[in-house]
Amino acid sequence: MCPSDIEARPKQKVERREESTRPGAYFHPAVDIFEAADELVLLADMPGVSPDSIDVNLEGDQVTIEGRVKPEDYEGLKPLHVEYGVGGFWRRFTLGEAIDREGIKAQIKGGVLALHLPKAERARARRITVQAS
Amino acid sequence: MAITYRDPLEQLQRELDRMLESAFGSAGASAAGVYPPVNVFDTGEEYVIKAELPGVDPGKVEVNVENETVSFRGERTFDEPNRDVAYHRREREQGQFRRVVRIPGRLASETARAEYRDGVLTIRVPKAKETRPRRVEIQAD
Repeated sequence: MCPSDIEARPKQKVERREESTRPGAYFHPAVDIFEAADELVLLADMPGVSPDSIDVNLEGDQVTIEGRVKPEDYEGLKPLHVEYGVGGFWRRFTLGEAIDREGIKAQIKGGVLALHLPKAERARARRITVQAS
Repeated sequence: MAITYRDPLEQLQRELDRMLESAFGSAGASAAGVYPPVNVFDTGEEYVIKAELPGVDPGKVEVNVENETVSFRGERTFDEPNRDVAYHRREREQGQFRRVVRIPGRLASETARAEYRDGVLTIRVPKAKETRPRRVEIQAD
């Protein structure tokens, strides 16, 4: 099968972040979220964000991801032609499942954040075998 | 006296926003319609082309510099989870991409370099010698 071309979608600017003290523009990262039997996995496109400039926060049933870009990457660069805005990434989700916060794992590679949120024991789906009589 | 905190990135963001708006209106770069969007910068000595390509294998990206044109192509593919999962959201796209960027000046293509870091492709192409800015000394008696 021949892969199709990727369609361009404009970056969505975050208009209002709560409790923000840092200046500058933030965008909504595109995400994939999938649920397996034992965990929720969130993948977020955050280009320009290195491992040392990302924050993941779980508070109550809300998980917030925030990544910043490095100003020094743009030092001495005078824009000639512009097709996208540059800034950090921010997005918040409400989780429908209880999460085991000790087991949360996050890593970022190639500008993609992979966040593993293991379900708390009581929230895990139990498989019930129906016995034939 | 109040000290104003000025982020150099914030200044650049304003400049980018202003240019985006004048080129595409308030809708942003959707009018361009081609993936990935690129930004082109000038450092005086060289042109810098940046594109956001998160999650791409840099070994599968081909960059070409020729005359006044910089082009790159590649493919973005993900591994599907190899177990039973239910998707709640699916916003990230896979597929091929190709961009051709015309640069308003002669390029020294033999010294071009490209790097891929944190999901951003950066191509640096020095300007051809005769088009670089040159400081002219003033002769005085």
